[in-house]
Amino acid sequence: MQAVVLQNLSKTYAGGKQAVKQMNLSLERGEVFGFLGPNGAGKTTTVKLLNGMLTPSQGSCQVFGIDPAQEPEKVHALSGVVTEHAQMYDNLTGFQNLTFYASIFGVPASEGEKRANSLLDQLGLSEAKDRKLAAYSTGMRQRLSLARALIHRPKVLFLDEPTSGLDPESAQNVNQMIQSLAREEGITIFLCTHQLRYAQEICTRYGLIEQGRLLDSGTLEELRTKVLSGATLHIRTDKMPKDLPFRKIGEQQFEMDIHSENEIPGIVRRIVEADGNIYTVSAERPSLEDIYFALTTKGKEEQQ
Amino acid sequence: MKKAMLAIIKKDFRGVTANRRLFSAILIVPVILTIILPSIFVFLIHFAPDDPDIQSLLDMLPQVLQSESLELTVTALILNYILPVFFLMIPIMTASIMAASSFVGEKEKHTLETLLYCPLSLKQIFRAKVLASFLLSMLVSLISFCAMLLVLESEIFFLMGDLLPPSVNWIVILLLVSPAISLIAVTLIVRGSAKAQSVEESQQAAVFLIIPVILLVAGQFTGILILSAWVLLGLGVLCALIAWLLLKKSMGRFTYEKLLK
Repeated sequence: MQAVVLQNLSKTYAGGKQAVKQMNLSLERGEVFGFLGPNGAGKTTTVKLLNGMLTPSQGSCQVFGIDPAQEPEKVHALSGVVTEHAQMYDNLTGFQNLTFYASIFGVPASEGEKRANSLLDQLGLSEAKDRKLAAYSTGMRQRLSLARALIHRPKVLFLDEPTSGLDPESAQNVNQMIQSLAREEGITIFLCTHQLRYAQEICTRYGLIEQGRLLDSGTLEELRTKVLSGATLHIRTDKMPKDLPFRKIGEQQFEMDIHSENEIPGIVRRIVEADGNIYTVSAERPSLEDIYFALTTKGKEEQQ
Repeated sequence: MKKAMLAIIKKDFRGVTANRRLFSAILIVPVILTIILPSIFVFLIHFAPDDPDIQSLLDMLPQVLQSESLELTVTALILNYILPVFFLMIPIMTASIMAASSFVGEKEKHTLETLLYCPLSLKQIFRAKVLASFLLSMLVSLISFCAMLLVLESEIFFLMGDLLPPSVNWIVILLLVSPAISLIAVTLIVRGSAKAQSVEESQQAAVFLIIPVILLVAGQFTGILILSAWVLLGLGVLCALIAWLLLKKSMGRFTYEKLLK
């Protein structure tokens, strides 16, 4: 069974703003799915629709076969959600917060305490566990939110900008945790972010959205094939034949766009035959960022 | 009841008891209404000069309510007919402090959304919130009643040399009327809290619920309504019925979307 399915999902707010437009998407179990787009693109709205906090204006969605608009409680039992609007209680300590959320998710008290301790440990919050939340920094709150979302061992995790506000070290720690959750425990991750480079590091598949519309989805390879198949070839050499269409970008540095890697040996041979010494050759394939911008400019051109 | 609801109730209780300002606000009204004010009445009755007007007023009372001394008769009137009405104010006041912030308080602290992501239905969350405020107001009522009885009886004993047993009305009030009225108030206030945009708005709306009781107080002072235990019982049953209906119907039309707006 697919973990998350969106069918023609649309949401128009009471004020007339169309936040999500006819979105079709499906996520397999154990996937780390990056849901990418700028602020206000409809990422948070989609997460809210998937958790029943909003009712779709059109279409439907399912989480492990359950429709959140019909049976939100059942979806909540399976999912963990981290968003910036889902905060915890300032008057309780980190540990008390976690055991409280464990108990409302029906985790037995002793088991809840055990899980809370182990999560606090994994996220580097053990020392602060008996401190009131009011004394927590933004980064600590963020990590505690992740612990809170994991306390009932969810099958799917919705993360809205999980590493914003984290220092590089804790961000890396959180990323490793997310990846191992998906790989080892088969948890499906639905990760919303506007940081494309960050997404490229940890996601296995992507959905790119703009103004509520899904531009495209797939793995990085699939997106490259569909959107930007070529690569940029960088060569450092002391002698470049004039007839090759290289752009000079620095002292002995050249670059050119190629359509496939198969062109590289021929080009290298040409330089060598022309008595050039080659120091480095590298082919840079388009990043997620390049693909995203290619898609958005294509969208704009189509509109015009 | 589900353990999860119990956890919410416990958490809400802790939220009130840990907040010293809130807790003292909850305690001050009962202390005034059940200890200070009644004590003033008892002292006034004891030390005020005998007034022939009062005697003639008392003569109009049914025979059963008159006891051997004027002091005891008046004190009994106050204990059994005026204080119960004051007493009804306690659960409403207590509830208004805790219940008014039940939903909107969480919304202001951005914890409501987190709470809604739990596997409880909105109805269950609503009931847990109602129950938390209801239990607190019942607890405060019960403690106030015990404190009042202790203070008043000892004052009466030392000043007038006798004890005044509270009438059967008190049992009806404690066990039926006060819980029912409190439940009505809590349900209405929690519902208001779910619709409100700020805690202040919710509290202001809650205070209106006291008005009917204040009217009753005024009524009791201008001309005493001598309600028999049976009438009170009927009133209590009616209130309990209303409370039950309200609790059942209140949350029907709420959605997550409306709550988070």
